[in-house]
Amino acid sequence: MSRFARAALHRLGGAVLVLWGAATLGFLALHLVPGDPVSTLLGGSVTTGSAAVRAEITREFGLDRPLFEQYLTFLGRLLGGDLGRSYQQQQPVSLIIGEQLGPTAELALTAFGLILLFALVSAVTTAGRRRAVRGAASGAELLAISTPPFWLGVLLLTLFSFHLRLFPVAGAEGWESLVLPAVTLAVPFGSLLSQVLREGLESALHEPFALTARSRGIGPLALRGRHALRHALVPAVTLGGWLVGGLLGGTVLVETVFARPGLGRVALDAVTGHDLPVVIGLILLSAAVYLVVNTVVDGLYLLIDPRLRGAGPVREVAA
Amino acid sequence: MPSRPVPPAARRTRTPRPFAVPPAVPAVGLAAALLAGCSSAGPAAPGGGTGGTPVRGGTLKYAVAVGTSCLDPHVSPGDVTAVIQRNVFDSLVYLDDKGAFHPWLAKSWQISPDARTYTFQLREGVTFHDGTAFDAAAVKANLDHVKDPRTKSLYAASLLGPYTGAEVVDPLTVRVSFAEPYVPFLQAAATPYLGIASPKSLAEKADQLCAGGANSVGTGPFRETEYVKNDHVEFKRNDAYAWAPEGAANQGAPYLDGLTIRFLPEDSVRSGALTSRQVDAAALPVSAVRTVRAAGVEVTRTQNPGVVYSLFLNSTRGALRDERVRRAVQRAVDVDALVKSIYFGEYERAWSPLSPTTPASYEAGLKDALPHDAAAAGRLLDEAGWSARDGDGYRVKDGKRLTLHWPYIASLVRDQRDTLAAGIQADLKKAGVELVRDSIDNGTYFKVYASGDYDLWDNSWVRADPAILAGFYLSANTPAAGGQNVSLSSDPELDGWLTAGAATTDPAARKANYTKAERWAVEHGTVLPLYVTANLIGRSEGVRGLVFDANAWPQFAGVWRTR
Repeated sequence: MSRFARAALHRLGGAVLVLWGAATLGFLALHLVPGDPVSTLLGGSVTTGSAAVRAEITREFGLDRPLFEQYLTFLGRLLGGDLGRSYQQQQPVSLIIGEQLGPTAELALTAFGLILLFALVSAVTTAGRRRAVRGAASGAELLAISTPPFWLGVLLLTLFSFHLRLFPVAGAEGWESLVLPAVTLAVPFGSLLSQVLREGLESALHEPFALTARSRGIGPLALRGRHALRHALVPAVTLGGWLVGGLLGGTVLVETVFARPGLGRVALDAVTGHDLPVVIGLILLSAAVYLVVNTVVDGLYLLIDPRLRGAGPVREVAA
Repeated sequence: MPSRPVPPAARRTRTPRPFAVPPAVPAVGLAAALLAGCSSAGPAAPGGGTGGTPVRGGTLKYAVAVGTSCLDPHVSPGDVTAVIQRNVFDSLVYLDDKGAFHPWLAKSWQISPDARTYTFQLREGVTFHDGTAFDAAAVKANLDHVKDPRTKSLYAASLLGPYTGAEVVDPLTVRVSFAEPYVPFLQAAATPYLGIASPKSLAEKADQLCAGGANSVGTGPFRETEYVKNDHVEFKRNDAYAWAPEGAANQGAPYLDGLTIRFLPEDSVRSGALTSRQVDAAALPVSAVRTVRAAGVEVTRTQNPGVVYSLFLNSTRGALRDERVRRAVQRAVDVDALVKSIYFGEYERAWSPLSPTTPASYEAGLKDALPHDAAAAGRLLDEAGWSARDGDGYRVKDGKRLTLHWPYIASLVRDQRDTLAAGIQADLKKAGVELVRDSIDNGTYFKVYASGDYDLWDNSWVRADPAILAGFYLSANTPAAGGQNVSLSSDPELDGWLTAGAATTDPAARKANYTKAERWAVEHGTVLPLYVTANLIGRSEGVRGLVFDANAWPQFAGVWRTR
């Protein structure tokens, strides 16, 4: 077996373990929190046929069986690719997630693009510059990081939607409706990434290789872009993995403020409503996203830093 | 529903929940709610802008606060479900905002003297959006669908009360029977929760009815073309529509080509969308009314019928077992001042657990019955033995502090009710009573609810029938049994009035029974009525013909635009 195939297999095995662990933890957590799904679904009150309705719900979702049996049934269905049906929406979980995945992905990817653009431009142009320039950029970023995204969203809406009427207030139709939510999501994360990048750039610029490069007559921008950036990127890429989690969490808030459909709000509803199948579906989805992101990040390390190549199979696997 | 937490579905908005109906007395309710609601200043309110000759064409965008996890009105208890699906599903009868019934899908009806049998003669020539004809079998199929446990109805089934079945007498005559006298049925039949869906859709799309959109097939003025959860619902005019309720201004197809209902959960965003004309009308939070009016938008206000937003006192636990302590709580709180300062005069202070707009039942004599009187509250507490005070100024008896617990779910607080609660807390502190607000999660909340392990519990419920009171006060309707009797009142005389109220068809006798129950509730210190919930609707100029039904919910079939 080639080294590559072994590495791939290793990674795949790890991925399966991670997904199984995520599903199990989600299952247990939801069974351990107080309150049972039937009561929450009924909202504490019952209809005339309450006993009958309660019994029907319990039977249909198999909630009357022992926890271990429920767990095995759940795993079995999961292996067959069946995520089950939502208690509350009475719809297949895969359908619910499938319907709402698009708008969230669109939002998260756009925000991600903006974050990269903003961080690169800001860090490369201001790293190691005069105190005033650097201080102003860094100060603005700190302010942005500490601004509650909720407030920022309402501020942007008030200005650009209610007053200037440049962008629609809400929804998920057309690129115009994507601008404000993506900016709201991108500003704090982009600022943070920019801080990390600038820090890395500046320490790289103090390395002897920077002096060498300069002595060869390279311009300041080329030095940053071609040499220093490569060094600064390693910590930034590490941060990127965390960023994906931040973006997913951030969508909950942004989707609510901007009234966009999406998984963030689905998650919010499902968690408060003890809608176990939906919550587990979302847990599995985010675990899968993390696995992919981690794989990409590991690949990026190799791409960025040639010193890491040829050091044998990548040891750290999706964790 | 009650202001109670609701399943996520209905969440954040009102959350109606059903309760058990004891034999003979139906009790059902809808929550009162708030945000999503809508209403307007009354029927034919000039605010509705009924002047001028209606113009055909155009579309309307209406914004509400929250969506719902299920759009099947036979299942979902949410007020917002009713508001949305009213456009698609017609009912047998129409209840106007003055409490009068009008023919709709039923041309006429007879109620047997014992109020156990209702016979409806149906309108001819009515068709569902899928082309199926509307007939007696369709009515039967719908009622049976609601009652079927597999439907998992969270509210509509309770509206059917002691339903035993429907019988197709001939294609256009249906007879509905009940095990007990059930006077509130006609009002129930007028709600969207018992709206009539195409029997074909009930059979073929049984597992997709919650998903709304094209799965919602009724006879209504609009066809539902699309539902994107948390985003919007889209409707197109039903050109064939010719069976509006008797007396409706528009007897034909809607004037609007289309209708969009958008979900904008953030209060400030919803009012901003309205003032910047990105939506044409919106259900407004009370806090936004001033700003929105200042921006030139007309706001109409309609009070909801049913149970007002009230604080119920658990008469079976701790210090509140003593009626004097309960009455002291009623007198210690300056409800007038709190409601006025928190709601800027948009909400009316309540005196009875029933709203003044509940048809033929309001006990107006309760006004000023128990005004704020700190001295009287102090005397009552002294008499009850709570005369000593501890270091913090709270009253104590036998070494125990007079402490009351009021649980709530923080994420579901709306309508500035947390501010109101803080005011109540401050007033009670002055009287030497410690009020503790316990912030708990959904699951725990319902456990506490069922176990009666609380002192105070707040709630409200929209329903245009005094039968709602039975849900809150019939002794059998305890929370553990699925009811709303959170004060855990139990009195044979009270039960007698509530049961008689649902069994008598004589309006005067009905009213007499319910007013006695209202009086009993207040005088025995089981409730501190706070404010009458109201729907606040902002509307751009140029939107005309918006009227409201008995629940204070907007009706879009007669809406037209001047430009």
